[in-house]
Amino acid sequence: MLNVADLDAYYGEAQVLKKVSITVEEGQVAVMLGPNGHGKSTLLKSICGLVKKVQGQIEYKGQSIKGLGSDKLVNMGVIYIAENRELFPNMTVLDNLKLGAYSKNARPFERDNMARVFELFPRLKDRRKQMACTMSGGEAKMLAIARGLMSNADFLCIDEPSLGLQPSLRFEVFSTIKEINKQGKTVLLVEQNIPQITELADKLYIMEEGRITFTGNKDEAVCNDHLKEIFLGL
Amino acid sequence: MSLEIIDVIISGLITGSVYALMAMGLTLIYGVTKAFNFAYGSFYTMGGYIAWLLLVPIAIAGGYFSVFLLAVPLLFGIGYLLEKFLVAPLRKYDDWEVKVMMVTLGLSLFLDNGYMAVFGGRMKSLPTFVSGQIEIGGAVIMTQDLVIFILAVGGMLCFRWILRNTRTGLAVEAVAQNPAGAQIVGIRKEVIFASTFAISTIMVGLGGILLSQKYFVAPVGGGDIMIKSWVVTAFGGMGSVQGSLYAAFILGMLEAMVGWIFGMDYVMISIFVVLLTTLAVRPKGLMGRG
Amino acid sequence: MSWKRMAAIMAVFYAVVGILPLFVGDMRFVMHILIMCLIWAVVASCWDVIMGFAGIFSFGQVAFFVAGAYCSAMLAYHLHIPPVWTILIAGCFTGVLGVLVGLPCLKLAGPYVALVTFGVHMTLTPLLRGKIGIAMGSGGATGLLTIPPIQLFGWTFSSEHLVPFFYLTFAVTIICSAIILIIIKSFWGTAFLALKDSEEFATSLGVNAFKYKLMVFAITSFITGVIGAFYGHYVGMLSTRMLNLDLFCTLMVMLVVGGIGQFPGAILGAFITVTVNELLAPLGMYRPLIMGALVAALVLLLPEGVIGLIRSIGSMWRQNDPQTIPSS
Repeated sequence: MLNVADLDAYYGEAQVLKKVSITVEEGQVAVMLGPNGHGKSTLLKSICGLVKKVQGQIEYKGQSIKGLGSDKLVNMGVIYIAENRELFPNMTVLDNLKLGAYSKNARPFERDNMARVFELFPRLKDRRKQMACTMSGGEAKMLAIARGLMSNADFLCIDEPSLGLQPSLRFEVFSTIKEINKQGKTVLLVEQNIPQITELADKLYIMEEGRITFTGNKDEAVCNDHLKEIFLGL
Repeated sequence: MSLEIIDVIISGLITGSVYALMAMGLTLIYGVTKAFNFAYGSFYTMGGYIAWLLLVPIAIAGGYFSVFLLAVPLLFGIGYLLEKFLVAPLRKYDDWEVKVMMVTLGLSLFLDNGYMAVFGGRMKSLPTFVSGQIEIGGAVIMTQDLVIFILAVGGMLCFRWILRNTRTGLAVEAVAQNPAGAQIVGIRKEVIFASTFAISTIMVGLGGILLSQKYFVAPVGGGDIMIKSWVVTAFGGMGSVQGSLYAAFILGMLEAMVGWIFGMDYVMISIFVVLLTTLAVRPKGLMGRG
Repeated sequence: MSWKRMAAIMAVFYAVVGILPLFVGDMRFVMHILIMCLIWAVVASCWDVIMGFAGIFSFGQVAFFVAGAYCSAMLAYHLHIPPVWTILIAGCFTGVLGVLVGLPCLKLAGPYVALVTFGVHMTLTPLLRGKIGIAMGSGGATGLLTIPPIQLFGWTFSSEHLVPFFYLTFAVTIICSAIILIIIKSFWGTAFLALKDSEEFATSLGVNAFKYKLMVFAITSFITGVIGAFYGHYVGMLSTRMLNLDLFCTLMVMLVVGGIGQFPGAILGAFITVTVNELLAPLGMYRPLIMGALVAALVLLLPEGVIGLIRSIGSMWRQNDPQTIPSS
């Protein structure tokens, strides 16, 4: 579904990604692990059209999407769910969700998606009149994911969904992502180094210093001693 | 004497309502694009000249109705293009705020002197909407003033409704609150920036059409208007529509009262003193947030 | 740019300007332009210090200039105080005015500072033209027409003999430029650069942003007032027309041409702009029109001014080998 080949990305003069190649098949959950500040978020942002300077190939459903703006990509079904949530603080939960369905292709499905999102996150339904800035960390995370789902995307790029959450909430978020995946969404997930996440992954990538240093499935990763120690904490 | 006071209050209310409309535009640009528009006053004059051109030399059928019908899209187009070609290219610089101030100030000088060159220095007067007067409990109100008041407040409510209840309005608010978030959900920031600029151009242009019937259209009248809408915006708190509404009426009243008691020379000075004191006590204005 | 390089550029530049009267001393028009260039170079550099280095969006520069000019002229005209003293008094007056304006507004966010300082500018016109101004002796709408010339050690410096006046202006300009250079390159300058980089970090190091801003604002207001007063005694007449937006924009062009925050640039910008402006004088009412268009065009096309242009041409010259493409 998504095919990235030899991707370089820059912030100003600094090169953040170096020849990154990944493939994500439809219906998979691909997980990218790696230490902080090594370019994982940049990869997601590059895919979603949020980084200006990129070189290489990005293909989505067989079509090159490199250099397209985020508005076009959202319309094609690729959405970025930010680690720091990027909600609209002084708007109600409902308005935040409505804005999630801003893109043209999402508008006809706004009602259906709203119902589905409320089914997935019943708590958001209770708080739909509340301002986004008054939500707790976990709720805000859910709102961010829910807003992403409102775009009717097929491909979700989720950036560190567990960041700043206590372990029990983390588990909740991960199981929700699994649930979303079961409903037919393809997910590319970025995390730092959390053991539970390997349960979720159909495919695992490790990124260090802007390069992919490991590709494989869960079992292969567990066999690799270096990875076991550093990233999986097993 | 007592009747005179009522006149003064009415005049304050009317100017206040038009200021509110114009300040709302300014607070909108600042809130959404964080840019400062020094050419704002020149768009006020532009509104006046558009109305004059349509009504006097062209003598358009339908009078003011046609003027509003034509002026709104025209002002929108002008505002949109100016943002796109003059302001948007500056956003890539670190010190773009100063650069935007400079460009818009240059634009204002260009426009004001352009009006002078095209229309001449003589003031133009606009025909009135309606003539006649209404008597309410002994006080006499010009029907025209009443119409201006209603149109200004109506326009304001209309814009407010659009911002609160339409998808585009919601997108504008989204960009104001979190530009990065807006980009993530697929809102095109550049389009929203340009549209906001254009909408504010409509607001001040309409203000120009409304107030120019009471006063005149002159090539350099815009500077004062810009400063006043600016003061209203800062006084009420930048980015706070509600604050600028209160501020507009307070300043409209202040202007009418000071003008009546001390003379017009003191209006600008008193407005400035009020602003300075307010900012000294409340650095973010009356209802400023953030 | 290093302190020595800045000083060297200025020394060479002013030395060249300083010997010009030997060649053009009998051409009144040229001498007048040169004097104007010197005066505006100081005003533009002061503004550059405020906007480019201290990062204060002040739009009150012309207001301080005019306030200084009026203050000195009124004192000399009505109270017959020798202009040498009135110029200094005017400087102190604008310095205090700077503090008074700065106290409430320098703590505010950028656009508010712009508003308040521009408000000073906009209030000055009705103040000087109206009854208050007339009562104080501003001459109202006509302005002041016969301002006494400067007298120093029994010599009279006036616009009748331009060469001596040129050298007097020259001396004043060099002193003012030296003060500005010291501000930029002293501890204050460093503090400001730190503040611009990261206000929070600089504050944690004990750099008090407000105090520095206020001090620089006061000093530049002082210098601007002095040079404004000087200007008043040179031209011999003042009117509130100076507060029209075109002079303001002309000053802005100087800054844009020279490059904001590129210090000796503002001086260069002033010389270029004043000369072009004087040459455009025959265009009459179309001059402000062109000036306005010029500001907009220059900001868009020449984002770093002449200095930036020279620098980028220079680096293009040097950067001929292809290996300098960013890689890491």
